[in-house]
Amino acid sequence: MSNVNVTTFAIVVILFVVVTGVGFAAVRWRRAEDMMHLNEWGLGGRGFGTFVTWFMLGGDVYTAYTYIAVPALVFGSGSIGFFAVSYTIMVYPIIIIFLPRLWSVSRVHNYITPADFIRGRYGSRGLSLAAAFTGIIALMPYIALQLVGIQAVLTVMGVGTSSTNTFVKDLPLFIAFGVLAIFTYVSGLRAPAAISFIKDTLVYVMVIVAVFYIPTRLGGWGHIFGTAEAHFTSVNPATKKPYGTFIPTSGVTGSTQLDFATLALGSAIALFLYPHTITATLASKRRYVVKRNTALLPVYSILLGLIALLGYMALTDKSTAAKVKKADNAQLAVPYLFQHMFSSWFAGVAFAAIIIGALVPAAIMAIAAANLFTRNIFTEFFKPDASPRLQTKVSQWASFVAKIGALYFAIELPHTFAINLQLLGGVWILQLAPMLIGGLFTRWFDRYALLLGWLAGMAFGTIAAYKSATPTVSHWASSSDIELGHTVYIGLSAVIINLIITVILTVIFRAAKVPQGADETLPHQYTADPADLPAPTPAGIGLGTAEAGAAAELPSLPSHPGHQ
Amino acid sequence: MTQPPDQSRSSSGSRSPVAAHPVLSAVIAVLIIACIAGTLFVPIYASTTPKVGDFPFFYFYLLAYMPVVAVVLWIVVQLQKRLDPSGGQPANPGEAVTK
Repeated sequence: MSNVNVTTFAIVVILFVVVTGVGFAAVRWRRAEDMMHLNEWGLGGRGFGTFVTWFMLGGDVYTAYTYIAVPALVFGSGSIGFFAVSYTIMVYPIIIIFLPRLWSVSRVHNYITPADFIRGRYGSRGLSLAAAFTGIIALMPYIALQLVGIQAVLTVMGVGTSSTNTFVKDLPLFIAFGVLAIFTYVSGLRAPAAISFIKDTLVYVMVIVAVFYIPTRLGGWGHIFGTAEAHFTSVNPATKKPYGTFIPTSGVTGSTQLDFATLALGSAIALFLYPHTITATLASKRRYVVKRNTALLPVYSILLGLIALLGYMALTDKSTAAKVKKADNAQLAVPYLFQHMFSSWFAGVAFAAIIIGALVPAAIMAIAAANLFTRNIFTEFFKPDASPRLQTKVSQWASFVAKIGALYFAIELPHTFAINLQLLGGVWILQLAPMLIGGLFTRWFDRYALLLGWLAGMAFGTIAAYKSATPTVSHWASSSDIELGHTVYIGLSAVIINLIITVILTVIFRAAKVPQGADETLPHQYTADPADLPAPTPAGIGLGTAEAGAAAELPSLPSHPGHQ
Repeated sequence: MTQPPDQSRSSSGSRSPVAAHPVLSAVIAVLIIACIAGTLFVPIYASTTPKVGDFPFFYFYLLAYMPVVAVVLWIVVQLQKRLDPSGGQPANPGEAVTK
């Protein structure tokens, strides 16, 4: 720890301690009568208004991927990295179509996870398990990516010893993540919700200072764009191709426009299929909160456009570019840029913003994965009579295990692996689109057809991603491949295959009169806006729903003496 | 996509809001599709020129498009309130929704 800047380090530690305090204190925020219910621990009481939801969703959607990986891609490949900007624009007009419906039906039926909805809509435990499984395996590398982002910052700060012992070397990361795991265990979703206020403020300050101040040090925007254009149009002697693209190209030289558009569209559809974004959505108290936020969150997305430009700034700053090339790790572009450009105290603020910015989504992701495990695997298959209290206990421990698993991921496996898996996670989660988005609008799809379509999409996506290669990388080289002569995002081609198979098989199965599962939802429930929380259902969802429904209508049913 | 097939056989008894306000529904659909199309069709903004200040057009467009989408979606939310007065309003106490 010889070259650690004391001021920077002290600021980061102070802000981390503040955040830890808020995380633990959050358990008292909007204090519930009984914290031991998943509506409380897992969804923060389902009572967040427009303001809190805006902060939390912003804190949830913009992760280490945003602060570290997107500028790294822009630094390395140029304009294609801006697909992320196009995607965060497109995501809001897309979710305004289906997200309010998901909120309403989940509220009426007390669904906590997206797989709960699948279970209720199609009456299929298998399909629900497929959804839960997809959600969990897509979230694990996403959590690991947050750790990789934190590691990038810690590396540049010079924190961590040169010891060859992994445990000693990554001790700061262990401490940060251990603290996170404990306050998530205690406070549930309230912790990341409260911390997201600090996170968003810090990130805003960091970005605004960066985009106004750094260009003045680098000779203005004209020079920054000029340098980037010169770099990406020049030819790399190793590959005999340009380093990247400054503007998405069209025509015979290999179009990157379709790649750009399909990456953006696929990612935009995928974002709110991820369990952690759905968790933050379901925590809001009313339908209008969800709707309003689709119009308010784009304000946050302006940030992303500016953050992506940090990649070009890092390229323009010769000292930063040289350091990144020496380390051969584009992930370090933003941290090195901040270290070189900012005074040591403000570098501390910026580093803390990135670290906290990674911890908030990591906490929500762990909670979402834990809820999926508890509701759709543990309760569904192992303990159908689990009480709300037991479910919450299981979720608390599962969130702990999810974090340890991600930690193992980030430390033991090569970092490129975590990033590749995260790309693959996007391909996987997109395969839920037909059953989840489709299911919100129509019950026409057959449950077995959906399952087989999902399987086909998962298999195609995984194999295509595995086979994707460049002259320098043999596997997992990119999340795009060539279909019908065009470079397109694998996730989107996989979900199209998924949808085609689902439609064809549905026609066949319907003709063959394959039995359909019971649908416990009603059309008007998709637009309902109940103000009050649904009564907690003690047992697993969907189990004997008919009886549960009858009991809800007749609360004083004499055959349920112990109930209520 | 904005008109779910389910609504046609809605059991709530009244006509579906989409069927009751065809023009308004069409306007909402067009606004949403326009928001998506404006960034999905990359050729309309994939060029260096005209430069806006120091920003090549491609970068300027992406940054400027974001607030436009925010405004358009805000209009959509307001229009949807008129579409379905019972939903989407804060003052809506005790709309009993049970099965």
